[in-house]
Amino acid sequence: MPIFDSLGSGGEKTAIVLDLGAAYTKCGFAGETGPRFIIPSEIRKPGQQQATKVVQYNINTEELYAILKEFIHILYFRHLLVNPRDRRVVIIESILCPSHFRETLTKVFFKQFEVPSVLFAPSHLMAVMTLGINSALVMDCGYTETLVLPIYECTPILPAWEALPLGGKAIHKELDGFLVEQCTVDTDTTTGQSVPAAIGTIPEETVEDIKVRTCFVSDLQRGLKVQEAKFNLDGTAERPAPPPDVDYPLDGEKILHVKGSIRDSVMELLFEQDNEEKSVASLILDALVKCPIDTRKVLSENLVVIGGTAMLPGFLHRLLAEIRLLVEKPKYSNVLASKNFRIHSPPAKPNCTAWLGGAIFGALQDILGSRSVSRDYYNQTGRIPDWCCLSSPPPESFYEAGKNPPPLMKRAYSMEK
Amino acid sequence: MASLLQPDRVIYLVRGEKRIRAPLSQLYFCRYCSELRSLECVSHEVDSHYCPSCLENMPSAEAKVKKNRCANCFDCPCCMHTLSTRATNIPAPLPDDPTKTTMKKAYYLACGFCRWTSRDVGMADKSVASGGWQEPENPHAQRISKLIEYYQQLAHREKQERDRKKLARRRQCMPLAFSEKYGLGTRLQRQRPGAPISALAGLSLKEGEDKKEITIEPAQALDEVEPLPEDCYTRPVSLPEVTTLRQRLLQPDFQPAGASQLHPRHKHLLMKRSLRCRKCEHNLSKPEFNPTSIKFKIQLVAVSYIPEVRIMSIPNLRHMKVSLSPASVFGTAPAALGVNVASELEDSSHHLCPFCSIVAFRKSNKIGFFIKVIPQKEEDADVTVTFRMRHDFRNLAAPIRASEEGGDAPPEPIWLSHHVELRLGPLAA
Repeated sequence: MPIFDSLGSGGEKTAIVLDLGAAYTKCGFAGETGPRFIIPSEIRKPGQQQATKVVQYNINTEELYAILKEFIHILYFRHLLVNPRDRRVVIIESILCPSHFRETLTKVFFKQFEVPSVLFAPSHLMAVMTLGINSALVMDCGYTETLVLPIYECTPILPAWEALPLGGKAIHKELDGFLVEQCTVDTDTTTGQSVPAAIGTIPEETVEDIKVRTCFVSDLQRGLKVQEAKFNLDGTAERPAPPPDVDYPLDGEKILHVKGSIRDSVMELLFEQDNEEKSVASLILDALVKCPIDTRKVLSENLVVIGGTAMLPGFLHRLLAEIRLLVEKPKYSNVLASKNFRIHSPPAKPNCTAWLGGAIFGALQDILGSRSVSRDYYNQTGRIPDWCCLSSPPPESFYEAGKNPPPLMKRAYSMEK
Repeated sequence: MASLLQPDRVIYLVRGEKRIRAPLSQLYFCRYCSELRSLECVSHEVDSHYCPSCLENMPSAEAKVKKNRCANCFDCPCCMHTLSTRATNIPAPLPDDPTKTTMKKAYYLACGFCRWTSRDVGMADKSVASGGWQEPENPHAQRISKLIEYYQQLAHREKQERDRKKLARRRQCMPLAFSEKYGLGTRLQRQRPGAPISALAGLSLKEGEDKKEITIEPAQALDEVEPLPEDCYTRPVSLPEVTTLRQRLLQPDFQPAGASQLHPRHKHLLMKRSLRCRKCEHNLSKPEFNPTSIKFKIQLVAVSYIPEVRIMSIPNLRHMKVSLSPASVFGTAPAALGVNVASELEDSSHHLCPFCSIVAFRKSNKIGFFIKVIPQKEEDADVTVTFRMRHDFRNLAAPIRASEEGGDAPPEPIWLSHHVELRLGPLAA
C-alpha cells in the first residue's frame, strides 16, 4: 500500500471492487492483490432453512431489489466496513447479465447506498488487464455457464462470443445423480444403505465439497477411455482402473462411500461432445472461427481461463490437450491455420482473476471518474446506459476527440467485411 | 398489551421515498424534520471499528492500514474459532556455552476447539507472546503493483489528453456559442456511436509519446501446463489432509489445497453503526465509542417521542356486527398529551370503517378509548383498522428555533399526524 494512501491524504478514497458471481461473490478494494472476501452469493433470512440466492434473473424487480439491498448491506457493514457514500464502485459483470438485473443493482447502489459512482466492467476484459497484454481469448468457466469471449487490442469482439451451460451447477447436478445412484452410506447401526434411504437428499454444499476435495479431471487418454466405456453398451470397451474409493464423513455418525469411478468420470461432462459436437474445448475453437482472420493467430496463442470451475485439478491440462485434438478434425483444420495454442497463468487464482483486473482498473483514479456513471447522471436520467446502448453515454465518459475515435469497437460491430 | 410480544399488531406508516409499514419499536423519529424514519430511509454509516474477540477499539485510519484486522487476535484456519496463545518451555542452548541448555519460554498458537496448532504448519515458535506472527505475502504482489503503475501512467496520459482537447474544443466552439442555447451542442456530442463501448475498452498505449515511460513485460503464455501427478489415479485420498472449500475461500490469495498450508489469519474487525437522516443529515443514532458499552450518545427512537397505541383487548369479531375494541394511547413525550384520533376514510382497502372514538378514561399520560369495528368482508383472514392519529409535539431539543425566538419561552407545540394500523386478527368462528 502506498504511503500516501495510508495517511489518508491522497484525495479520493480507493474504490470498492465487487464481482457478483452466481455462486460466490468476491469483494475488496481497488489496488490490492486479492479480494478481501469470497463469500457465497446468498442471504439467509431468519426462520428460513434455505438460503436465498442473490443472483437470480427470473424474479420480479421488487423482490430482487430487496434481496440485493440486504446482501450489499452485509457486504458493506459486515465485510468491507466502510461508508458506502465515500467510495466509487467497480462492478465486474458478465456480458450476458440481463439489463433488468444490472439496472436493479445500480438502483440499489445509487438509491439505497448513495455511492458516488458505479462502473460496470466486463469480466473478460478485466481478466486481460492482469496480464499486461492487449489481446487474449478469454474463457470464463463459472457456476452457471462457460462463456468464451475474444478480446483484441483491449476490445471485446462481441459477435464471436460462445457459451454453454456447463459449469459448477451442471457438475453438481451430475455428481449428485451419481452419488444418489451408486453410493452407499454407513451409519452406526447399518451398513451399505442407499443414499435416499439414509439421508434423503444431499445438500448442494456437501456435493460441492465432495467435488472440490475428491474429484479431478483425468488426462486426455484416460478421459477418452472413460467416455468410451460409458457410452459403450455392449461392454467391449475396458474402463481404466478407477481411483480408490473415498469415505466422506457426512456428520458425526454417517459415512458416505464415494466410488472411485465417480471421482474421475464426473468431470467428463465438460468434455463430452453433445449432439451438436459442442464441449468446453470446442467453444474456444468455435469462437476463434468467428473472429476476423487476422486476429486468430494472436488469440490462439493467448488463451486465458478464469472462473472457479477452472480450478479443478487437471482442468487446464485436459483443456489444452482437448483443443489440440479437436483442431485436427476437418471441421476446424480446414478453417484454422494456426495450430499453436498457448495458455496464460494470471497472477491470481482463476476465480479471482477478473476481480484482480477490476482492482487494477479501479486503482486508476485519473480516469475512473470519467468512465463511471455518476450519481448525478443517474438521478437526472434514472437509468444506467447499457453497454450496447449507443444513444446516451454518460456525460463525461465519451471521448472528446471528434476526429479520431477509437476505431476498434466500430469494426467489431460493423457487419461489412 | 400488544406492543412487547406482538410487535406486528400495531403498525405505523412511514412516508419516505417508499411507504413502509413497521411497528413503532423499530422506527426512529427525526426531531429536526419531525417525521418518522424507518431503517430503510436512513443512511447507515460506519462509526467505529473494534475487535470482537479482545473488544479493543481501533481508530479508522489504523483499521484501514491493517486491512480491518485485529493486530493481536487470530482465527483458526481450520474451524474459524479464535486461537489462543500457549506458552511452553523448550530447551535452548546457552549463547555463551552451546553445550549447556536452558529452558526458554516459547509461544505458539493453538485452537481450543479443533486442536490445530501453529506447529502443524511448520510455523516456528515465537519468543514474544504477541505481535510476532506474520501472515504470508501474496507471491504476485510485486508483479501486480508493477501492472498498476503501468496502467496508472496510461491513465494519466489519457487524462492529460482529454484536458487538452477540452480546451481546444471550447475555443473552436466560440463562434457557435448560441447553439448551446438550443441545446443542440450537447445533443450532437452525445450521439457518437461507439462511445460507450470505448468507455469499456481498455487503455492501449500510443507509441513514442513520452520519454520516461514505465514499461512492463507482457505476460508470457505457456505451451504446456502441469499435468496431474501420476499417483493421483492410484493414491488413496486422506480427507483430513485436503482443505474444504470454505477453508480455502477464507484465504483468497492462496486458496491452499493441502491442510499443511493453512496459515492463521488475523481476526476480522466488526464495527458500530450510526444512522443519519437522509433529508437533514442529522444523526438519529450514534453509539458510544467504547466497544464494551451498549449505550448510545444519540438515539432518537420513535417510542420516546411518538405516542404509542396499544390494543388492550380484542373482542370477538363477527361479520357485519359492531364490536368495540378497547385501545389506549401512551404518551411518553414530556409535554402534556393531546391526542386526536380520527377515522381514516380515504383508505378503502381495509374492510371496516364506521368508527367512533369514545374516550373511556384519562390517566396521567394515558388515554383509553373504544374503537367501533364492523368487519366488512367475511373471507378475509385478518381484520385491520386504519385510523389517523394527531397529537401535539413540543420540540424541546431543537436549538435553532429557540434562539430565533430569542427567549426562554417553550417552543410552540406542533401537530403531527400518523397513520396507524391495528391488526385485530381473524373473525371469531
